[in-house]
Amino acid sequence: MKKTQVFIFAILIGAGAIFIHSQQEVVLSIKDGMPVIPLAFPDFISQSSSQEIREFGKDLHQIVSDDLNYSRIFQLLPESHYSYIRPLNPKKIFFKDWESIQATLLLVGIVSESESKDFLFEGKIYDVKSSRFIFGKRYQSAKSLLRLVAHKMADEVMKIYGERPVFTSKVVFVSDRDGNNELYMMDYDGQNQTRLTFNKIIDYMPAWSADGKQIAYTSYRATEAGLYLYNPYEGVRKEVMSEGTNFAPTFSFNGKKLAFCSTAEEGNSEIYIANSDGTNIKRLTFNTAIDTSPSWSPNSREIAFTSDRGGTPQIYIMDAEGSNVRRASFGGSYHDAPAWSPTGDRIAYVSRVNQIFDIYVLNLRTNKIIKLTESNARNESPCWSPDGRHLIFSSNLNGTVQLYTIDYDGLNLKRLTSKGSNKLPDWSR
Amino acid sequence: MKKITIYSLAILLVFSFVVSCKKKVEEAPPPPPLEPVQEEQPVVEEQPVVEEVVEEPVVEEPVLTEEEIFLQKTLDEMNAEAPLQMIHFDFDKYFIRDDAKPFLEANAEWLQKFDAITILIEGHCDERGTEEYNLALGEKRAKSTLDYLESLGISADRIKIISHGKSQPIDLEHNEDSWQKNRRAQFKIIGK
Repeated sequence: MKKTQVFIFAILIGAGAIFIHSQQEVVLSIKDGMPVIPLAFPDFISQSSSQEIREFGKDLHQIVSDDLNYSRIFQLLPESHYSYIRPLNPKKIFFKDWESIQATLLLVGIVSESESKDFLFEGKIYDVKSSRFIFGKRYQSAKSLLRLVAHKMADEVMKIYGERPVFTSKVVFVSDRDGNNELYMMDYDGQNQTRLTFNKIIDYMPAWSADGKQIAYTSYRATEAGLYLYNPYEGVRKEVMSEGTNFAPTFSFNGKKLAFCSTAEEGNSEIYIANSDGTNIKRLTFNTAIDTSPSWSPNSREIAFTSDRGGTPQIYIMDAEGSNVRRASFGGSYHDAPAWSPTGDRIAYVSRVNQIFDIYVLNLRTNKIIKLTESNARNESPCWSPDGRHLIFSSNLNGTVQLYTIDYDGLNLKRLTSKGSNKLPDWSR
Repeated sequence: MKKITIYSLAILLVFSFVVSCKKKVEEAPPPPPLEPVQEEQPVVEEQPVVEEVVEEPVVEEPVLTEEEIFLQKTLDEMNAEAPLQMIHFDFDKYFIRDDAKPFLEANAEWLQKFDAITILIEGHCDERGTEEYNLALGEKRAKSTLDYLESLGISADRIKIISHGKSQPIDLEHNEDSWQKNRRAQFKIIGK
């Protein structure tokens, strides 16, 4: 057994070495140092004799715990540490106890019965060193929204560190699980997968608006692949452009603009921008080569895109007015699907080497490249989480095409879907 | 005596009656047979049916041309016959290959024959490209097909193009054979 492992390891190293040799600018496995904040997260206290309320408390604790572990910001203290100190008394907290087990933050949760809803949950955050209450939130909710309550609480904890909410974010994607490519959405963790369109025609390449209220997407109708805006909460749809093939929409981070591709004018994919309501359409690229796959910089002033104007598909960056085009990817013959991170310093993209598609991350500050996925498969359509610490992408790693998340440094690969084939994810901001 | 007179009168009367009856029988024509009309069928005169013969102009059964027969079909029926042949492309390329040109020439000829037909050219790719780039590449393939047909005299007004990228493979295997089949431009009749 051990020999086999060593052997596999040797093969991996060998493969890595060959890879480094063939693609010199790629540096494997760089791990950015990330501050990890030790958080004490004792079981939630139930102030009810009801078994159901106690169960709610357990579920909430589990979900918040999963969220915070996923965050890569917080490190939950091992439960065994809590046995060294006095049990938690929410009325009188002995902060010295918590400090003695290396906690920086303490998160206390209390569940009780609610007069009007199924349960009441109260979460309080304390700074252990200064023995200070930072903030608290109280939620009353139906049990059907228990996951949402937990995600909201976890997001509040993220906000202390100035982070964008991740756990209440939504992923929109394309699935053929019901026989036809239709739009679906789900929570960031793959829960609550919900079908959005019932067109019986192909819906494709969805993208969230900056406020998470609209989805821009391509819909094939008769002889046209039109671009539409759809509000899934109100069920309202609006056409942006229908002549030709219109695709790869993406909203600017400031919420004002929509970039997309259209072949309407010359039968060649060009990049256009419009106001985020689909009006005021302007063409940005004028080139006989393919220009596709736009992605906004977080300051909404630049757009990364793919073009084969140099002979092979490569990633370029231009100003949002279409000027000042410069090439951003080098080496390799097939780079596509750039995704600019919300932190602004990285661009994830897909590179094809020997018919294998992997996702790479280019660090714009250091010009270093990390290979995120390592598989004999097609890994495609990367998209960043709102906080830029995770990516979602599609992969046929296990046969059918499914959605996976992975952290910015290649850790924590996690599969989110399994029914039918699932692709083209877009993570709300 | 009186009795004798009565008898003799009676005999006379009877006699005279008999005589008179006898006379009548002899004189009367044979009585017409009883209800002969009802028993016998009326005689119908057997006559041949006579019709006027008019020299009519010969109605030519409309002998439909192949074209007209085809044009009577629905669009779905037309497309089921696939009168226009698909063409294939090289990996990552969108130029018209030499082996595709005869097909396009045949397609152009057909389009000239059916000059009211309008078509949609769909560009498709194999799975070895990204979703985004393949949509653009598929469009390029459809466009170069359109351009070639235009160079053969087919008006571009009759042609629409669309790209499906790699979303609609016709062969689901993962080898060079199936990839080649999937890198294609195919034709759909959308109007007549």
